[in-house]
Amino acid sequence: MTLQHYLIVSAILFVISMAGIFVNRRNVLVVLMSIELMLLAVNTNLIAFSKYLDDVQGQVFVFFILTVAAAEAAIGLAILVVLFRNKKTLETKEINELEG
Amino acid sequence: MIISPELFQQIIFYVFATFTIGSAMAVVTVKNTIYSALFLVLCFFNTAVLWLLIEAEFLAITLVLVYVGAVMVLFLFVVMMLDVKQAKASQLKQSYTKAALLIAAAMLVQLLILFAYKLSGEIPSNELVRQEQGYSNVAEVGMTLFTQYVYPFEIAAVILLVAIVAAIMLTMRKREGNKQMDASKQININPAERLRVVSMKAEKATTQAQSKEEES
Amino acid sequence: MFGWSELVPAFPEILVLSMACVVLLVGLFTDKKKGGFIVFLSVITMMFAAILTLKDHVAGVEFTKTVIFNGTFIRDEFGDMLKVVVYLLMISVFFYAKQYLRQHDNLQGEYFALLLFATLGIMVMISGHNFIALYLGLELLALSSYALVAYNRNDLNGNEAAMKYFILGALASGMLLYGMSLIYGAVGTLQINEISQAIAGQNNDMFLVLGLIFVIVGIGFKLGAAPFHMWVPDVYEGAPTATTLFIASAPKIAAFALAVRILGQSLDVLMIHWQSMLATLAIVSIIVGNLFALQQTNLKRLFAYSTISHIGFMLLGLVGGAEGIAASMFYIIVYTIMAVGGFGMIVLLSNKGMEADQIADFKGLNQRSGWYAFLMLLLVASMAGFPPLIGFFSKLYVLKAVIDQGHIILAAVAVIFAVIGAFYYLKIIKVMYFEESETDQAIDASFDVKTVLSINALAQLGLLVLLPVLFQYCIRVTGSL
Repeated sequence: MTLQHYLIVSAILFVISMAGIFVNRRNVLVVLMSIELMLLAVNTNLIAFSKYLDDVQGQVFVFFILTVAAAEAAIGLAILVVLFRNKKTLETKEINELEG
Repeated sequence: MIISPELFQQIIFYVFATFTIGSAMAVVTVKNTIYSALFLVLCFFNTAVLWLLIEAEFLAITLVLVYVGAVMVLFLFVVMMLDVKQAKASQLKQSYTKAALLIAAAMLVQLLILFAYKLSGEIPSNELVRQEQGYSNVAEVGMTLFTQYVYPFEIAAVILLVAIVAAIMLTMRKREGNKQMDASKQININPAERLRVVSMKAEKATTQAQSKEEES
Repeated sequence: MFGWSELVPAFPEILVLSMACVVLLVGLFTDKKKGGFIVFLSVITMMFAAILTLKDHVAGVEFTKTVIFNGTFIRDEFGDMLKVVVYLLMISVFFYAKQYLRQHDNLQGEYFALLLFATLGIMVMISGHNFIALYLGLELLALSSYALVAYNRNDLNGNEAAMKYFILGALASGMLLYGMSLIYGAVGTLQINEISQAIAGQNNDMFLVLGLIFVIVGIGFKLGAAPFHMWVPDVYEGAPTATTLFIASAPKIAAFALAVRILGQSLDVLMIHWQSMLATLAIVSIIVGNLFALQQTNLKRLFAYSTISHIGFMLLGLVGGAEGIAASMFYIIVYTIMAVGGFGMIVLLSNKGMEADQIADFKGLNQRSGWYAFLMLLLVASMAGFPPLIGFFSKLYVLKAVIDQGHIILAAVAVIFAVIGAFYYLKIIKVMYFEESETDQAIDASFDVKTVLSINALAQLGLLVLLPVLFQYCIRVTGSL
C-alpha cells in the first residue's frame, strides 16, 4: 500500500470528525466520540508516516496519544455525568446557560 | 484463479477503508446514541485492520484492547446509565448546519487534492516500507519506548493518575439514601447525644431516635 | 540508564511531582473549612522548586544549557526564567484559591494536588525538547484544568464551562497533533533541534506548510486568540474564580513557551509563513477583544475579552523578529502578574454565596476601603497601559519591535484599539471612585491573602525599578535559544 492511501483515509476521517464536532448540535456524547475519531485520524497519519520513513518514533507517538486519549475520555465522561446530573439533558441546544 | 498477494492486499485495504469511513459517517449521523457508540467500535476494528496491513501490529492490538475493550465500554456504560433520549428532529434543516457541512466538504476536497495529486510528484517512492520475516514490531516499539522515550513515559503515567483523581473527584458523591456504616463515628459516639431522659406522664410514652446522616 | 547527573536538571519537576502526591494524601485527612497545611505545603513546594531552579544561576558563572533524557528535556535560561515566573504566580494562585475555597467551605486536597499537577504540566511544556514531551505536558496541564473548572460539581455554570473547555481543548489538541504528524512526515523526526536542521536541508514545503497551519490553529485555540476565542469568556465566567485566575495566568506562559519552542525553535526556517499568520491572529484578537469587552457587565467576562486582546499583543510581539520575541516574553510575564491580581481582587471582594463578579459589585470601593480601591486602580490602569505603570512599557516594547520590523500599519491598528480598550478599564475606575456603594460590608480576608494581593498590585509600580534589568534578561534568554 502507498502512503497516499493512508493519508487520504485519515484526511477523510479527520474531516468527518470535524464536521461531527461543529455540525452536531444534538448530543454531547456524539461530540466526544467525534474527538476520538479525530485522534484516530491523527494516529493513522502518524503510523503511515512512521512506516513510510521507516522510523519507529511515529509509532511511539501513537502509543502516547492512545494513552492520553483514554485518560481524556475518562475525564470527559466524568464531566458529562456531572453535567447530566444537574441538567438532566445532553442536548447541545439546551446547554446554553452561558451566553456565547 | 489465483490472486496475487499485492492485489489481495489492495482488496483488503479498500474493503476495510470503506468500512472505516462508512462507520465513521454513521457515528456522526445516526440518531440513536447507542448506535453511534457501536459504529465507533466498528470503526476502531476496521482501522486496526488497516494498521495491521502496514505491519503496525502492536498498535493495532493496543487499539482493539484499549479502545474497544476499555474506552468504548466506558462510553456504552455512560450512554446506558444516563438514559439519553433519542433525537427528535432532523438537524439537517438548520442553515448553520448546511454552512458547516459545506465548509467541511470544501476542506475535505482541498486535502484530498493536496494528498492525491500534488504530492504524487513530490514523494519519490511512496510505497510503505515492508519488513523482512522475523521482524518484531513489539520489540522495536518497546525498545524505543523504554529507552529514548522513558521521560514521556513517566509523564504519561502522571496523566493517568490525574485522570483517576479527576474522575473520582468529580463523580464520587454520597448518595442521599445510602445506609453506610462509619466505624469511627460509631465508636466516637457520646451517650449523651443519643439518649435523652424525658420525664413525662406514664400513659403517653414515645421516643424518637434520629439517626444523623451527613449529606453532602 | 540514567546516572545521578542526568537527573539533576530535572529536580524541580521531580520535586513538584512528589509533592503533588504528598498533598493528595494529606488532603484526605484535612477539614474542608481549614486546610492551611495543604496551602503551606504547596507554597513551600514552589519556593523549593525556585531554589532548585535558581541555584545554578550564580552571577559570573556561565550557564550552559543541558539536554537530558535522550533529548526529550532541555534546561536553558529561557525555560528557567519562565519557570521562576510560574512559581511566583502559582504562590499567589494558592493563596487566592485558599481564600476562595474557604469562603465556600469546600477546600479539598484534590484541588491543590491538581494545581500542582497542572504546574508540572507547565514545567514539562516549558522544558519540552521533543514533540511528544511538549504534547504530554500540554495534556497534563489541560486535563488538570478541565477538572479544576468543574470543581464545584453542583454548580451548573461550572459544569457547562468545563464541558465547553473540554470539547474545544480536545479539538485544539487534535488540530495540533494533526499538524505535528504532517511535520513529522515531512522531516522524519520529532526532536526540536533536528527538525530545524532537517527543514534547512530540504525544500519539500507542502507537508510543512500544511502542518504549520494546523499547528498554528491548535496554538491559537490553546492561547484563546481570536477567531478561536469562543471558549474564553464562557470558561472564565463559568469556572470558580479560583480556577479562572489560574487559567488566566500560568497556562498562558506555558502556551507562550509552546509557541516559541515549536515556531521559534523548530520551524524557524518557515518564519515568513508563520509571521503573516500570527500577525493576522494578533490583529483580529486585539480588535475582537477590545470591542467585545466594551459591552460586558460581568467583570470575569470583561477580563476574558481583555485577555484576548492582551494575547493579541503577545502574538504581535512574535512577529517582530528576535527583539520581538523578547518583548513578547516580557509582555506575557507582565500580563500574567496583572491578570492574577485582577482576579485576586474579585476573590477578595466575594463572600459566601456572593461572587463579586459584576462591575456593579465594585461600586464605591473607595468608600469601603481606599487601599483596595487603589490596588485595583493600579492593576486596571496597568492592564489598560497607562504610563508610567509597567503595563505601558510592556506594550511599548512590543510596538517598538514591530515598528522596527517595518510593520507600521499593524502597530497603528494595535494602538488605536488599545486606546478604545482603555475606555472599559476607565469604566471600572469610575465605578470604584465616583459611585455610591450599595453595601458597607467590611472586606474580610486573612492577613496573608491581603499581603499577597498588595504585593501583586504594587508590583505594577515596583517592577519599574527592575524594568531595564528585566527586559535585558528577556533579550538575553531569548537570544540564547
